Amino acid sequence: MLKYLFARNEDIPHGTSAVYFGISSIMWFVIGTGLGSFNAAKLAFPDFVTGSELFSFGHMRQVHVMAVIFGWISMAFAMAMMYITPALGNTRLWSEKLGVWNCFLWNFGLSLALTLLWAGMSSGREYSDFPWFIDLVILFGIVAPLGLNVWMTVLKRRTQGIYTTNWFFLAGTFMVFIVLLVGNTPEYFQLTGLTEAYLTWWFAHNVLGLWITPVAAAIAYYTIPKITGNPLYSHRIGHLHFWSVVVFYSTPAAHHLMSAPLPEWLKSFASVEGVLILVPAIAFVSNLLLTMTGKWHYFVDNVETKFTITGVLLAIPLNMQGGFQQTRAINWYIHGTGWIVAHAHLALLGFSTFLEGAAVYYGLQTILRRKLYSLALANFHFWFLLIGFSIYWISMTIAGLIQGAGKIYEVPYIDVVIAEHPYMIARWVGGTMVFTGNCVWLYNMWMTARAGTVIPAGRLPHELAYER
Amino acid sequence: MAWKFDKILHSLTDDAQNQKARQLWEAESLGGITEDNNRLPQAVVWLLGLTIITAFLITFPLWGQRPSAAIYQAYVAEMDSPEVAAASDDQARVQAIVNKVKAQGGQYEALQERHPVEMDDLRMIKDQVIELQNAGVDLEEYTVVGNRVVLANFEGNIKADGTKQRKQPWWDKGYTIDIFYVIYFCVAVLIAIKRLPNFAWQPDHHKGH
Repeated sequence: MLKYLFARNEDIPHGTSAVYFGISSIMWFVIGTGLGSFNAAKLAFPDFVTGSELFSFGHMRQVHVMAVIFGWISMAFAMAMMYITPALGNTRLWSEKLGVWNCFLWNFGLSLALTLLWAGMSSGREYSDFPWFIDLVILFGIVAPLGLNVWMTVLKRRTQGIYTTNWFFLAGTFMVFIVLLVGNTPEYFQLTGLTEAYLTWWFAHNVLGLWITPVAAAIAYYTIPKITGNPLYSHRIGHLHFWSVVVFYSTPAAHHLMSAPLPEWLKSFASVEGVLILVPAIAFVSNLLLTMTGKWHYFVDNVETKFTITGVLLAIPLNMQGGFQQTRAINWYIHGTGWIVAHAHLALLGFSTFLEGAAVYYGLQTILRRKLYSLALANFHFWFLLIGFSIYWISMTIAGLIQGAGKIYEVPYIDVVIAEHPYMIARWVGGTMVFTGNCVWLYNMWMTARAGTVIPAGRLPHELAYER
Repeated sequence: MAWKFDKILHSLTDDAQNQKARQLWEAESLGGITEDNNRLPQAVVWLLGLTIITAFLITFPLWGQRPSAAIYQAYVAEMDSPEVAAASDDQARVQAIVNKVKAQGGQYEALQERHPVEMDDLRMIKDQVIELQNAGVDLEEYTVVGNRVVLANFEGNIKADGTKQRKQPWWDKGYTIDIFYVIYFCVAVLIAIKRLPNFAWQPDHHKGH
């Protein structure tokens, strides 16, 4: 990487920044899920690693969350943007050099930020745990250069139209900039009380709703038509999806605070909008599944399609949960329980991870012109990820229902802890399976780069999957 | 940007621009990806309609509310009645209270069923409910939280006497804003979609590729 930091833009091979982002994202995924497995072990076995403040759950939890969001998910997004945006515009990335610097500073900055967080320097605000100066570095040192590269690539495209995926990439990079700028104002201006609470959840909701969800969906809009060769089923439904994300995902932040003394009309407004997140979900799922018409064998044969369609299918329970769990009727029961933890993992480890996984698999093979080193290892990764995630999700959902019952019926806390114990062990087993799968993935992609069969010009990686 | 309004549900764009859009649609390769012009399947349209209706129906504050003190007023009044006093144990006592109040009917019947109590619960709130009754306040503005009867955690419109309404209405301005929001959204998306060539036309992807 270092040699390209100071090279001329013209001398940097096409796709370099995407490769760096892709490999970085997998490494952060390994680190992030490793930390998750460690944290889960502490909940399942309370005597596991004690005596050191640094390894206490309170220090480690947010490091796991931030490593996964800013390391794995967002870097996988950056990887996808670095190769998909120019591909859809029949052009090159506006600046490979900016992309390489972006990736370098991102890795360096995130390592530093997570170290500070680990040491206990935290804003104490969930999902925006980094202290204010790190927030500014993320805003201007990471998100702004990424957005600039994406926007300039689209502006310099050699097509007249802009494909659906690029609408989401453009909007996603713009919206996340606004979300980071406004959502962190309590840290810049010392806002406290209800204002802080509202802005914290406005931030958390919109990072999910206006960054992770739309960008992950954008990737599926690329991978499925690209791999199956089918046209996207409907450009019109793409419009419905895009505008409903912008309208209905940006408004329900107050539904995270249904029991807080916010104005009740605001909660009513947010709660209706919260159910209406099903509109973009229905549009997205129906468009992608209908695009698969006649090509469903790819769901079995092709590893990228397997990842993508699994992610698309997981959008159904994700949005059914997300839409209804925030209503007054359900929220009073599950609020503050493991149910929410399960839901967050359904969004990040289920829906979005499977879509990003496909982008990284496909992108690295395409750019490196190397066939996947081992399809068997890729399938191993898929199944370990899916089974591990499912064990995690189901066990935490059950644990959440137990906690909810304990909360409502005022069961002594220690009894709830005892009742949850088997599910905490299951959570650890599931999380560790995910971590193991990711270690295998890192090895597989590393070997793909070093020893994968060269893909001849004019062929696509998935066409050669079963050829020796 | 040529507009046409003679058949607004067919297309909002004039024929010349539609023709231009069709040609571009068929000729242009977006990184090797093509798109069709299918309409949203009718079943999915119904599903979206159902979603919008459900969004309003399920979020009304009729559901998921803490019990107000008013729903236990009748229970408290029956606690010292001879039938209840004659019952053998607490379970029989509370059953007698529930049966008597149910026989009387009333507007709180459904809420009473949704928020069942035991005799000990009633004993804990009895004095507080009576005290509030004597003070002449509206018990619907008070909620029962565990063993306490407290002013509801809700601040609505300002009443004529200057105090704030503590009862949650089944409708508030949040829903009104939502209605406008949904209408604006539907109109905006319809305009965006109707600017495209009508869905009866499908691009031939073999022409330009």
